[in-house]
Amino acid sequence: MWLGLWLGILGLAVGVAIGLNLPLVLPHAYAKYLSVAALAALDSVFGGIRAAMEDHFDNDVFISGFFSNALLAAGLAFIGERLGIDLYLAAVVAFGVRLFQNLAIIRRHLLKKKSDIKGK
Amino acid sequence: MNKQVYISIVIVAIVLGLMMAFQFRTTSAIDRGVPLEEEAAELETKIEGIKKGRTDALGVMESELSRIRLYAGFIMVEGPGVEVILENPLETGRFNPYVIRDEDLLKVVNDLRGAGAEAISINGQRILATSEVRFAGNHINVNLTKLSPPYKIVAIGNPGTLKSSLEIKGGLVEYLGANGIAVGVKQEDKLQVPAYTGPLRFEYAKHTEK
Repeated sequence: MWLGLWLGILGLAVGVAIGLNLPLVLPHAYAKYLSVAALAALDSVFGGIRAAMEDHFDNDVFISGFFSNALLAAGLAFIGERLGIDLYLAAVVAFGVRLFQNLAIIRRHLLKKKSDIKGK
Repeated sequence: MNKQVYISIVIVAIVLGLMMAFQFRTTSAIDRGVPLEEEAAELETKIEGIKKGRTDALGVMESELSRIRLYAGFIMVEGPGVEVILENPLETGRFNPYVIRDEDLLKVVNDLRGAGAEAISINGQRILATSEVRFAGNHINVNLTKLSPPYKIVAIGNPGTLKSSLEIKGGLVEYLGANGIAVGVKQEDKLQVPAYTGPLRFEYAKHTEK
């Protein structure tokens, strides 16, 4: 569990370092898609953490959910742009709501663990 | 947790970090107004280019204008050529029927032009495309200005060619000399032909688009 956390933090740091030092700049027109994709990815990560806490973490579900959610969210935003509907808003709302739900559940699990430790 | 899970966690974390960093950079670039600055710089260079193009065009037009003014006879020109002086026969008491006529001057001008004269003036009157050389009373008029003898014709061109075109056997010098007119043809290295200074009015001829 703790090794997973540290690996996650390390991976995040490496990713941020690569992202900040890459000489490529995303064209400003794609910023919206990337933002929605990043939100979906974030949601997947929190979902994964929650699942890990509930002890039903499935690696395949986690990986596939992470990538497919990100791609789907970006694709949805793209299609919405073509159709003239702000579909990315739907993605933002859906993933945002889920993100907060996941965070709430994680919080509760953490509190429960703390009280369990206290209780022992 | 097995190895696979750790690998997937690392991959996911790296991808997430990459995405967030990219997004951060993109949005901060928008906030800093970099694209607008780039656009401004681009427009600035465009303006520079247009300005440069305008000055270039202006320069070309100016040189074209001065060339046309040169051809038209609105600027004083300088160069090698010949000076022809025509003097009426001296009054020697006996009756001399011959005075220099407009035709004589015209013939001289015509010969000089035929020999490649680039600028011609008679007594300081520049010969233009519209200039007339004609008798008006007792005088010869050129550019509506009365001239009186001696007539000094200045032509700029190849001095040798101009001189020989007049002095050719059976040419004008011989012909005029036979009529008692004193003709002097002098080659000069540096002659000046003045500009036409009078008015130029085109009342009937109009521009066409072609």
